[in-house]
Amino acid sequence: MVKRLFTGVVTLMVLSGLGFLFFAWQPALTAIEPPQAAAFPAEQIAQGEQLALAGFCANCHTVPGGQDYAGGLGLDSGFGIIYTTNITPDPETGIGTWSEAAFFRAMRKGVSRNGAHLLPAFPYSHFAKITDPDLTALYAYFMTRTPVKAEKQRNTLPFPLNIRLLQAGWKLLFVNSSAGPYQPRADKSEAWNRGAYLSEGLGHCGACHTPRNALGGEKLDHAYGGAVIDHWLAPSLTHTNPSPLPWTEADLFDYLRNGASPLHGVAAGSMAEVVHMGLAKLPEADVRAIAVFFADLNGSATVDAAPALATAMARERNDTGSEADHGAQLFRTACAYCHYNNAERPAPARPELALSSTIFASDPVNFIHVVLDGIGSKDGIPGLYMPGFAKSLSDDDIAELASYLRRTRTDQPAWPNLIEAVASNRKSLTASH
Amino acid sequence: MSKFAKYAESAETSTGVSRRGFLIGAVSTGFTLAFLRPDALISSAEAAVAEGAFEPSVWYDIDRDGIVTVNIIRAEMGQHVGTSLARIVADELEADWNSVRLSYVDSNPKWGYMVTGGSWSVWQSFPYLSQAGAAGRIALIEEGARLLGVPKTACIARNSVVSGGGKSITYAEIIRKGNLARIYTAEELKAMPVKPAADRRLIGLPTKAMDIPGKTTGAARYGIDAEVPGMVYARPKLPPTRYGCTVLSIDDSAARSVPGYIKSVALDDPSGTVPGWVIVYADSFTAANQATDKVRVTWKNSDVTTVSERELLAHGAGLIDTPKIGALVVDDPGVDHVFATAKSKLERNYTTNTVLHFQLEPVNVLAFEKDGVWEIHTGNQWQSLILPTLAKALAVPEEKVVLRTYLLGGGFGRRLNGDYSVPGALAAKAFGGKPVKLMFTRPDDARFDSPRSCSVQRVRMAFGDGGKVLGMEHHATAGWPTQVMAPSFMPKGKNGEPFDPFSISGADHWYNVGAHRVRAISHDLANKTFRPGWLRAVGPGWTNWALESFIDEAAHLNGIDPVTFRLALLDGHGKNAGSAPNAVGGAIRQAAVLKRAAEKAGWGTPLPPDTGIGIATSFGQERDMPTWCACVARVKVNRADGRVKLEKLTVVIDAGTIVHPDGALAQTEGAALWGASMALHEGTTFANGQVKDTNLNTYTPLRMRDVPELDIEFIASTEVPVGLGEPATTVVGPAIGNAIYAAVGARVRHLPIRPKHILDALVGKPLGG
Amino acid sequence: MTQFTLNGQSVTVDVAEDTPLLWVLRDVLGFKGTKFGCGIGACGACTVHLNGRAIRSCIIPLSDAKGGQITTIEGLDPAGQHPLQKAWVETQAPQCGYCQSGQIMQAATLLKDFPNASDADIDAVMSGNLCRCMAYVRIRQAIKIAAAEIRNGAPHE
Ligand code: FES
Ligand code: FES
Repeated sequence: MVKRLFTGVVTLMVLSGLGFLFFAWQPALTAIEPPQAAAFPAEQIAQGEQLALAGFCANCHTVPGGQDYAGGLGLDSGFGIIYTTNITPDPETGIGTWSEAAFFRAMRKGVSRNGAHLLPAFPYSHFAKITDPDLTALYAYFMTRTPVKAEKQRNTLPFPLNIRLLQAGWKLLFVNSSAGPYQPRADKSEAWNRGAYLSEGLGHCGACHTPRNALGGEKLDHAYGGAVIDHWLAPSLTHTNPSPLPWTEADLFDYLRNGASPLHGVAAGSMAEVVHMGLAKLPEADVRAIAVFFADLNGSATVDAAPALATAMARERNDTGSEADHGAQLFRTACAYCHYNNAERPAPARPELALSSTIFASDPVNFIHVVLDGIGSKDGIPGLYMPGFAKSLSDDDIAELASYLRRTRTDQPAWPNLIEAVASNRKSLTASH
Repeated sequence: MSKFAKYAESAETSTGVSRRGFLIGAVSTGFTLAFLRPDALISSAEAAVAEGAFEPSVWYDIDRDGIVTVNIIRAEMGQHVGTSLARIVADELEADWNSVRLSYVDSNPKWGYMVTGGSWSVWQSFPYLSQAGAAGRIALIEEGARLLGVPKTACIARNSVVSGGGKSITYAEIIRKGNLARIYTAEELKAMPVKPAADRRLIGLPTKAMDIPGKTTGAARYGIDAEVPGMVYARPKLPPTRYGCTVLSIDDSAARSVPGYIKSVALDDPSGTVPGWVIVYADSFTAANQATDKVRVTWKNSDVTTVSERELLAHGAGLIDTPKIGALVVDDPGVDHVFATAKSKLERNYTTNTVLHFQLEPVNVLAFEKDGVWEIHTGNQWQSLILPTLAKALAVPEEKVVLRTYLLGGGFGRRLNGDYSVPGALAAKAFGGKPVKLMFTRPDDARFDSPRSCSVQRVRMAFGDGGKVLGMEHHATAGWPTQVMAPSFMPKGKNGEPFDPFSISGADHWYNVGAHRVRAISHDLANKTFRPGWLRAVGPGWTNWALESFIDEAAHLNGIDPVTFRLALLDGHGKNAGSAPNAVGGAIRQAAVLKRAAEKAGWGTPLPPDTGIGIATSFGQERDMPTWCACVARVKVNRADGRVKLEKLTVVIDAGTIVHPDGALAQTEGAALWGASMALHEGTTFANGQVKDTNLNTYTPLRMRDVPELDIEFIASTEVPVGLGEPATTVVGPAIGNAIYAAVGARVRHLPIRPKHILDALVGKPLGG
Repeated sequence: MTQFTLNGQSVTVDVAEDTPLLWVLRDVLGFKGTKFGCGIGACGACTVHLNGRAIRSCIIPLSDAKGGQITTIEGLDPAGQHPLQKAWVETQAPQCGYCQSGQIMQAATLLKDFPNASDADIDAVMSGNLCRCMAYVRIRQAIKIAAAEIRNGAPHE
């Protein structure tokens, strides 16, 4: 996604002019003395903590094994690496001198205290929907973290992408910051509204799940329609999701709470972090609310899952690959001992590929990614582990495996250019490791 | 493999084993059966023991608690040979089976010739071990009778107890109280009265193999498990081809970033076994593995770096087309005349691809020098073959090298060729004699394998009136392992040309076909491109494929039922009448297993559409030691995609006396499935001078889900016991090919059989390859 | 330093975290019952349990075993008398034996998931374990015997 954002920025250069510059200029806000922790009520801090988890702030602002919120995680933009910032209250390298107003402006308008535009990798278009009290609580939470001195690493973006001012043009096109905080819908339940608020705002689900246009802006008319981002497909969360079984509220809840739905698959990659590092700490009611919202969005309540389940399980049982089929051989050799199922429903610890959203997805990237990298015991279903095969299987092997599963476990059209897809994913994954 | 066995026997004789005096003597721990030193002039057994003029523990000893420890000089690789050999001793010794233990021994000249292969361990050891057991029994009865004060003629031995006259004494007591010292001459030992078959109490009865419990708990120790304190690890960096490459330069700059990496060294190998090898040392296998991938070596390449399977097969076809080359293994008078005047003729070509051993334990070796002796720790099937090579490589006398013994994680003939121990020894030498564990990754193992060569064969038959068979020719070419690794084992053909017996055996069959000619041609390009190996049954893996497919074609050509056609040729006349001791009954016994297999499998009963049964037969490896074997395969063929489902194999075997029936059954189950695997599932090809498939992502041996129903029967017999590890392997392929023909009329003439070949054959395209 | 539990005991090792678990078990900790066959997760010789389920230790970096519960063939049953081990002896399943630790460890997971394993279940789950000696007939037989014993209440794991 990040790559597309920058394509957008370059295009905007052509459009730029004086008027634009006027719009783009933002003042610096006065630096304050870092507030004392005692200045914030404990309940407010606690609430802020929950919200920070719901917003997955740590996913980007903490490097694995590093100090909390000290930033420094490199995001590959495709053009260069963008490093996340230090959001601890360190006065020199963090946000210690930020007033609440500066914090609000950053969260809602994407502008730093000193007036610089933040790169759109920071999803302020979503955060703009957060209510004032929630933002206040978040402010309280971050200003009471342990300050960490950590200089921001320089992004490795080339000119002209490194010109911050240009971000403003992008905002002009895509960020409707005048819309203000989330407005509940009267025709929906309280849970639905809570789910919508969390998903659209703080949770910024659309940042990954909504496809983007050529300039990198979210296509709001295709909200949650699914998109490929950082070598993962964030699948469609609407009725366009091709999974054989509908994602019901119960399935969504299972998945978001436990990292897996036996009827769909497991959370991997950044979604595993979302589930196990973010949502895991939210109250059950909030997770349920998100499930309510998306179940409504995809219309699953009206679909009868039974026939599709029966079809899928029959496909698994009557594995029709030939002995001469390389993909079939590999599956039987290296996969079936964990993935085979024989019953009416898959066993909980045996992820069923004939039901897997990954095998049904329009893009094979998740399949390729998981086969190459595996799924750690802390991702997906806790305790359950899938090894990566990057060092074991060739591009050809993985492509054959993919096409075999696609052919025998789904009714979807064949994935095209698989060998190339495996090769390019392998390349970028090795690069990012 | 009887020529092999005979050679081994004569080698044993030449080391003096069977000519030497033999004693039973007391040692501090109990009693031992031992050879006298060849030079010893000893007045009595006591004196011999006192002077230490014997080599203890040749076959077994019995300690003061009556525990019988049998020395096993054969490699334990899944055939439970230790149990079989100990059963032979214990039966004659009348020992209590529960008091029997096994000791797998290291290489030592006193054991005579050490080799395990060709399915002949039991066959070859049976006489010696029976005699040794009998000698012990007689001594124990004599001494027991004396201690009991009962005439020895009134005494019997059972379950480690001598009893007579209402009294009894255990072997342990006899050993503690009596004087068992005896000296026998070699002649006396040979004449030792061995029990008649009816009196056997262990041989042929069910038992549990002694090597099995440790294989279910992780306690069993294989070569790969060998370790000594302070050893370092190493992995080879293999040259582009098996022979002919030389190292020009080594660049290890990238490898140096691997923590634990030590160094890379180009081996200097005076034995010429591993030319162009670089050894990469590190303090763990993982580091050695990673570093090896990073070491860059520049070689001066050999001239076979472009050789492909297609080229090998084409070259083979050219050899077959060339008259006058090769060895005439069988050359009856009148062959040319018969073909010139025949009423009709049939000629067919058959081919097979390269097959890997793929024993599950990749080859490995731990080597070091200790007190001037080079210790080589590894699983091996033919110590006596590799010892001289190791000595040459290390530039030391043979007695300065000892091979320590471990279980083998699969043999199948791979470890008859002990070439992998040479780089291990040299790696240790290049490391100052300190212990080095040389590990091969699976791709290393596959690339360094001595695979079963691809083969090209042409078979012809001449018929007279009514389809009467008047003459037959069989021409075969393949890489010859024996020529490459043990040329002194090559006999001469009728035309004086030497040949590899293991690469043509099977073609000299027991069918009466009139004037018969068998020509074996060494495949020079194969021998040069790789090191052809002995692989489970060796030659019959391809000769029997051609022979038994061809016989089927000949039967169909003449409109005769394939069983009837074969039975008519297996008439047991003339040279096929058989001979004592090993081949009593000859072709008549082969006809019997054939008939029995057909009957068991319901030959001639109607089958569902596209389902067929096919039959094939074999006599194991060599005419001098035949194991009679027949197989019926039932297959279902999918005409649309060419897929073959192997539904059932019926196998009937006459292997003479069966020492360990359950072990024999297990061996036959494995052998039959190997046959199925090589026919339908595995097989590789050469590309750019090396095998293409080097791991299980593309090399696909038969798995659990591919196992057909098995129905295996042994003919009850008290004839000489013969080998079992290999015969069933070679009947399955042609039985499947013949079954496919019976099912859908598609004749396949290439192994392995791929769906594409069947689809081609169905539309009448010439044989695939 | 990496910590995990091996056969019920906590162990800590100091080796590169990308070392495959197999070699840590075999060469660092001396548990040689787990074997090396292919190194790519395609033969099953290296099968051990991670958190109670069969996995191929040759393709698992040590880092992924961190904090996990590992069981090897040596720890399947303290006396080597797990119903599967007994059935393996009863049927005389091992030939060369090299694959059998892995076969037994995989079979244990099979029976956990499919207590009444049918031939189709055995085929599907056990086909990842190569037995080059092709002792498949007896392995199948042994699994069925052990399954019956476990169903009748024999202690296991
Ligand atoms: S060694 Fe691990 S699966 Fe083969
Ligand atoms: S018993 Fe030898 S590999 Fe299975």
